[in-house]
Amino acid sequence: MFRYFICFFTLACFSFFVYANDNHSELREEQNIYGKIYNAPLHLSGSSKVTSVESLYSRKPLIVALVFTRCYGICNPYLLQLSENIKQLQSNTDFNVLVVSFDPRDNLKDMTNLAKQYRLENNRQWNFATTDSINEFINSIGFNPKWDSITQQFDHDALLVGVNEKGLITKNLLGIRTVDDLQLMIRSIHNVFIPSYRLPTKSNIFSCFNYDPKTQTNRPGLGLLFVALPAIITFLIVIIIVIKSKRAAA
Amino acid sequence: MQQNSIMLFFMLLVGIGTIFFVSIFMSSLNADKDSTGVKNLLKKRFWFTLILIVVLGIFAAATLPKSPYFTFANETPSTVIHVGTMQFSFFLSTKPIDPKSPSGETIEIPHDQLVEFRVTSFDVNHGFAVYDPSMRLITQVQAMPGYVNNLRYKFTEPGKYHIFCLEFCGTGHPVMQATFKVI
Amino acid sequence: MNIESLKLKKISALWIIVILVLFIASIVLGILMRLNQGKVIEQSPLTFYTNMTTHGLTMIGIWFAAGMVAVNYLLQRYVKTSYGVNLFAFILTVIGVVMLWITTYAGKFSTGWTFLYPLPFRDLGSESWSTPLFLISLTVLGVGWLVWSVSLMAQILKKYTLSQAFAWQHFKSNASVETPPFILITTVTLIGVIASLIAAVIVIILYFAEYFSHGDFVNDALLMKNLIYFFGHTIANEMLYLGLAVIYEIFGEVSDRPKWKMTWYISLAWNCAMIFILTAFFHHLYMDFVQPQALQIVGQLASYLASIPSAAVTVFSIVAAVYGVKVRWSIVNLLFFLGVAGWVIGGLGAVIDATISNNIMLHNTLWVPAHFHTYNAMGNVLFSLGFFYWFSTQYVDKLVLSKLTKYTLALLIIGGIGFLMAFYVAGANSIPRRYSTYPVELTSGPYLAKVGALFASIYLIAILIFFYNIAKRCFVILSASSR
Ligand code: HEM
Ligand SMILES: [Cu+2]
Repeated sequence: MFRYFICFFTLACFSFFVYANDNHSELREEQNIYGKIYNAPLHLSGSSKVTSVESLYSRKPLIVALVFTRCYGICNPYLLQLSENIKQLQSNTDFNVLVVSFDPRDNLKDMTNLAKQYRLENNRQWNFATTDSINEFINSIGFNPKWDSITQQFDHDALLVGVNEKGLITKNLLGIRTVDDLQLMIRSIHNVFIPSYRLPTKSNIFSCFNYDPKTQTNRPGLGLLFVALPAIITFLIVIIIVIKSKRAAA
Repeated sequence: MQQNSIMLFFMLLVGIGTIFFVSIFMSSLNADKDSTGVKNLLKKRFWFTLILIVVLGIFAAATLPKSPYFTFANETPSTVIHVGTMQFSFFLSTKPIDPKSPSGETIEIPHDQLVEFRVTSFDVNHGFAVYDPSMRLITQVQAMPGYVNNLRYKFTEPGKYHIFCLEFCGTGHPVMQATFKVI
Repeated sequence: MNIESLKLKKISALWIIVILVLFIASIVLGILMRLNQGKVIEQSPLTFYTNMTTHGLTMIGIWFAAGMVAVNYLLQRYVKTSYGVNLFAFILTVIGVVMLWITTYAGKFSTGWTFLYPLPFRDLGSESWSTPLFLISLTVLGVGWLVWSVSLMAQILKKYTLSQAFAWQHFKSNASVETPPFILITTVTLIGVIASLIAAVIVIILYFAEYFSHGDFVNDALLMKNLIYFFGHTIANEMLYLGLAVIYEIFGEVSDRPKWKMTWYISLAWNCAMIFILTAFFHHLYMDFVQPQALQIVGQLASYLASIPSAAVTVFSIVAAVYGVKVRWSIVNLLFFLGVAGWVIGGLGAVIDATISNNIMLHNTLWVPAHFHTYNAMGNVLFSLGFFYWFSTQYVDKLVLSKLTKYTLALLIIGGIGFLMAFYVAGANSIPRRYSTYPVELTSGPYLAKVGALFASIYLIAILIFFYNIAKRCFVILSASSR
């Protein structure tokens, strides 16, 4: 009987190989945590006045997304994912979103068109903006896009920056992320202490818990099943023994 | 010092336990042939269990809120120290640490201000334990590869603090240490 | 004497001799460690850590096996057990232990007995073959013990129904069948043992999976830590329960007192203990803030709750058996009585450490070895020694309490207390555990280590005398013929 369990397990384990894990933890997310974001002057699309980053975050905590409109790469899927994720949230009004261009070529019209592309031009929660202090702004975040003159494109990360109402960066998210990760960020910009989190890896198939910010708890992952497995198998073994000895008695 | 009260409390319990067992043993030595032992055992057992449950319940209620996951949870730290650990050294820095070429810097932390250590490991599990200038352990957290653990603390006493590794990480484990200053 | 019971006697005698020899060797390793920490001798860190790994694994292995030997032997009173399986477990244990010592001493494998992931893959200074050999030796031990426990479980369930084995019928006012407490405790404990061994199997498979995938598959450090402590914590606790089962069974008869009876509260207590003990291991992860807070709190509550049934039932049973009545004291029940005291005191140290807000001051300091050595070296070891004495004198000698035995017992107590106090004081002084030598700043470390080594040597002397007494009788049993 024991042999069957070994076989079962080896099979189970090997079938997970496809989801191989990357060991290199991504620590760039840790950059400039609790640093102050640069108070750049902003030109908001759909408005003629100049405002500032501070006037935005002092009203409500802020999620900042950095894009450029001529991007052929990540910017579009990443904005799309963000807007979809926000739609999925149960309460999605206690923060604002600021989409800023880091490309000096972008003007307000480009940004308005970008907003229209996602039908967000009339959404008060979303602010599309350009700034005259691009360098100061992205330096305060630790974001450094590289210009590639051959492709005429920026080589850059997909970065979301969470800013609390004091203007401090509380969390960064790199890459295209799930709604759960977004929830984690939203909690952190509302100054909720998060004692720990998992560094992004390609797969978290074996992690015990995936943080579920909706309930402020960790949701059991596949790993937790593994923690419960010894108890489950023991239970099964006992049942098998009972059935066998009953049969023998009959 | 919490350790001293723990030790005192423990010795008290040990003392009570020892007296308890010794007196039971002596009562057996001194008993004569036809003594019958404890009476009403079930009743005594019941009261003992009830008291034990109440005492443990009070204990749990009093200590659980003091768990490190809940302390300083509603404040924003004024300083962040990133901590990277590796066989067999600590890297402390105000900037995030690159796992591929880790480097640290000299750290000075202002006293009476909330600091957050963001602790991770680049290889095996390590411990991050802070010892005050009198070499007493004051707080700790584990450094686990793939995770960042956030430890918050407010230092009240200026001075030189030591960090030791408190999770066995290989032959260099006892020499793995670092220091920082609280000013 | 029939041939079956003689065979069982012989294999038990053989187990006992092997266990005690390994025990003495491991104590010597323990003393060497303390001497090195006290700077009396100077060993390389690698040597220290191979000693530490060998000591920890061997101790856990032999005292688990000792409990199983005793339970297997006494189980024969109620059900038929398989001699073949017992022998099989013996052979696999010997092979496994030999392989372990090869991995640690020839292969320099030195990850500590918890082999926390991913240390075995980054174990500096060890041979590259030592990690797979280590995993294989664990597999050999695990298979032997798993087969043994499942077989005993199966034998119990052949005679008793499941609810009888758990003594559930005693919740009703008039139970028609009485389940002996020994059967209940053995059932409950075997379940825990099987669960912990299966956790070990999963850990081993996950390790192998990573080993053979050449970096394509990487385990999750948190999952591995949970599983390793599921295994390690649970087996270390269940082996104490094996010892308690023996006490429930024979304390009465060696003391000229009535045998302990099953009641509804004994049944309730042990059924609860089974559940609590399986979740208490979370207290090993308090300092891993990534573990969800709910589990941390469950860890503290389960650790607290696990102490209630044992305190309210086992300690009270001992009290009821001893308080104010004439007891025929012999070395056997004295060892049992002392062992229960040691177990309770170690448990107090454990409950203090299982409190999260204390754990942050005590985690991985010498407080941890302090409390687990209390309920092992002054608890479980005494349970088993008591059984060994009872077993060996049963057929060869009469149980008498000689002067020499009394003095030996005194040595054991003095040595044990001094050795443990050195650990406790060091723990309260924030001296870390698992340090081959202490940083100069931690001034009390080396000093306390010397004290510990001194008292541990006294303890060793007592053990050597016990060993002589027990082993010589076991050899007589081994050479007995079936007439
Ligand atoms: C008088 C006898 C004993 C002596 C002198 C002794 C000594 C030691 C020492 C010095 C350590 C290392 C402490 C450190 O972390 O710095 C240790 C660890 C340990 N001992 Fe003992 N010990 C004794 C008996 C036992 C017994 C009876 C057990 C039974 C289970 C046991 C199980 C362990 C375990 C599991 C460890 C942990 C190993 C590790 O950290 O990987 N010891 N012992
Ligand atoms: Cu370390």
